[in-house]
Amino acid sequence: MKALTFAILSEPEERLDLSPLTPSRLAGLSQVQIAKLRIGTSSHPVMVGDVFNVSGTDLHSIVFEGSTKRFDRVGAGLTAGSIRVDGDVGREAGRKMSGGSLTIQGSADDHAGSGMIDGRIEIKGNTGSYLGGPLAGEMVGMSGGLLIVRGKASDYAGDRLRRGIIAIGKGCGGYAGYRMIAGTIAIAGRVGAVPGYLMKRGSILFDRHPTELSPTFVPCGEPDIAFSSLFDRFLMREKIMNRPLLGDRPGRYGGDNAVLGKGEILFRRKF
Amino acid sequence: MSVAWIGSQPVSLMDAVRKASGLLKASRCPVFTIDADVHGTRSAIALAERVGAPYDHPLGQTLSREVALFTDHGGMFTTAGEARNRSDVIVLVGDIPPHHGGLLLDWASTQPRSDKLKKRSWFHIRGSEYSGAPKLAVRAVRVGGDDLSLGNVLAVVRATLQGRQTLSSLTNIDRLLKSLSAARFPVFVFSGASGQMPDLIMLQEMVADLNKKGRAGSVFLPADEAAWGMALTSLWMTGFPPRTGFTDSLPSYDPVRWDIQRMIRDKEPDLHVWMSTRGGQPPSKGTRLCLIALERTAVPVQGTAVTIAVGQAGLDHDGVCYSSKTGTFRAVQAAEPSQLPSLSSVVRQLAVALPGRKALVC
Repeated sequence: MKALTFAILSEPEERLDLSPLTPSRLAGLSQVQIAKLRIGTSSHPVMVGDVFNVSGTDLHSIVFEGSTKRFDRVGAGLTAGSIRVDGDVGREAGRKMSGGSLTIQGSADDHAGSGMIDGRIEIKGNTGSYLGGPLAGEMVGMSGGLLIVRGKASDYAGDRLRRGIIAIGKGCGGYAGYRMIAGTIAIAGRVGAVPGYLMKRGSILFDRHPTELSPTFVPCGEPDIAFSSLFDRFLMREKIMNRPLLGDRPGRYGGDNAVLGKGEILFRRKF
Repeated sequence: MSVAWIGSQPVSLMDAVRKASGLLKASRCPVFTIDADVHGTRSAIALAERVGAPYDHPLGQTLSREVALFTDHGGMFTTAGEARNRSDVIVLVGDIPPHHGGLLLDWASTQPRSDKLKKRSWFHIRGSEYSGAPKLAVRAVRVGGDDLSLGNVLAVVRATLQGRQTLSSLTNIDRLLKSLSAARFPVFVFSGASGQMPDLIMLQEMVADLNKKGRAGSVFLPADEAAWGMALTSLWMTGFPPRTGFTDSLPSYDPVRWDIQRMIRDKEPDLHVWMSTRGGQPPSKGTRLCLIALERTAVPVQGTAVTIAVGQAGLDHDGVCYSSKTGTFRAVQAAEPSQLPSLSSVVRQLAVALPGRKALVC
């Protein structure tokens, strides 16, 4: 069976909410019914058929051929199956996803993986701010799953991360791991200011010494722990990194001492 | 004197209203920017609901940061009156907007009611980004560190208060700790302009820490009082602060999606309705976006399809505005009454001119 394919006809004039286009929400709908789903967000909203040419029948494998930054909430609420986007997407990609896989060949805007519960998101390009973070009024960010960014992430990556793993390939902006509750963030490349600010617990892993730490993180030596090699092997087995991130006996900072002081920043000692 | 223009041509108010309502009716994605008193804001939001338009304030970025402290985190707040009556230690945090200088001087001229013999202590926590201008209205002991940002200074103060280790020391930290430990009701005073969002959250968590052993509070002084008044009015009407939209018929709050300046940059709307009784520059000026301006002006706003001059509450007509000093709204009388129509009256006429001809509920 050919994957259910949404080929873009032209650049939409308005932002689109693509959360209805997931396997579970499309189940039992004919192509005509799918074409009549409302996805626009203006006062005269467009429907699927106005923006996409729909083809294919395999609901468990969805492909968006061509995309724009106006595609919001791609794969939001995904529970099973796979979605692939051949291009960039807008905000909240994979929001509240609880299973399946979402692959974005381009870049994603703010709040990618927001409130993710389980599953796998892979973004080949860069992402905006608040990677995995909660929306306004929510208390917890990502609480499970694997979120991979091959490019660079902007500020506040992993805001209020509760559980799960975030891996970033080419560095990130300021406040990585901001208000982190638990979980793991692995970052290769340059890191912005004050990573781990207000973090309670959890681990932030770097491939180099962080330069602008908050003074409430204190050095804790170079512990000889099994975790670093185990996690390095996991990252390489999953093809997230192609060489060890931490290496043996990584350096360690503990903090944020302004909060609980039970979080840690581990870093590779020699880059 | 003309109060309405189509393009740059003076027309009657009714013609301008008819033209503006036609543009609103034809618009696929209109957006509103609102800067007005309570009555103007209520009418504008009611019209936004009628046409399905999101709305924001011209100072939406700062206002959004101030609102986020309440929506995303919360805090322990007290009123300016309580601070004046009860606080024995006042800690100013970061930049305090100069228009609150009178309030600080008022506090400085009084003693806490609980202990009139005790002089109130003043501290000022500030980081390397502190501008120092304009000068603070009161004298306060500076607490800070070399090359430490406000966020880092607050983090060090909080960690030190809990007896935890830090890598930096601060000037006058011992004096601050001594005063806080002896204080019956320390109050931290801050504004949305004081620092970044993480700094304000660190501050609020420090106030919460202090409340585990005693009593402490914070006073929030908005960066712009009129903007905060608009936010409160929006909350009463829709349950949400500005950056709320009505495209699904129900109000939905999204500080990024309904950021009107971002929407205009990304060319999402096709009509911008700029309502400002204080003047200012519409963010859509210089773009090809169709613009309707309801503004306190004597000349047509350049680049607009329709301009209608409106009066300002407290200047041209009576009104109701927010006051930080009382922490609530107050009636203001016209200082220089004029013939300019109020924003709410113009918006009501616009609503009646729309299809259906229904009057606004407010």
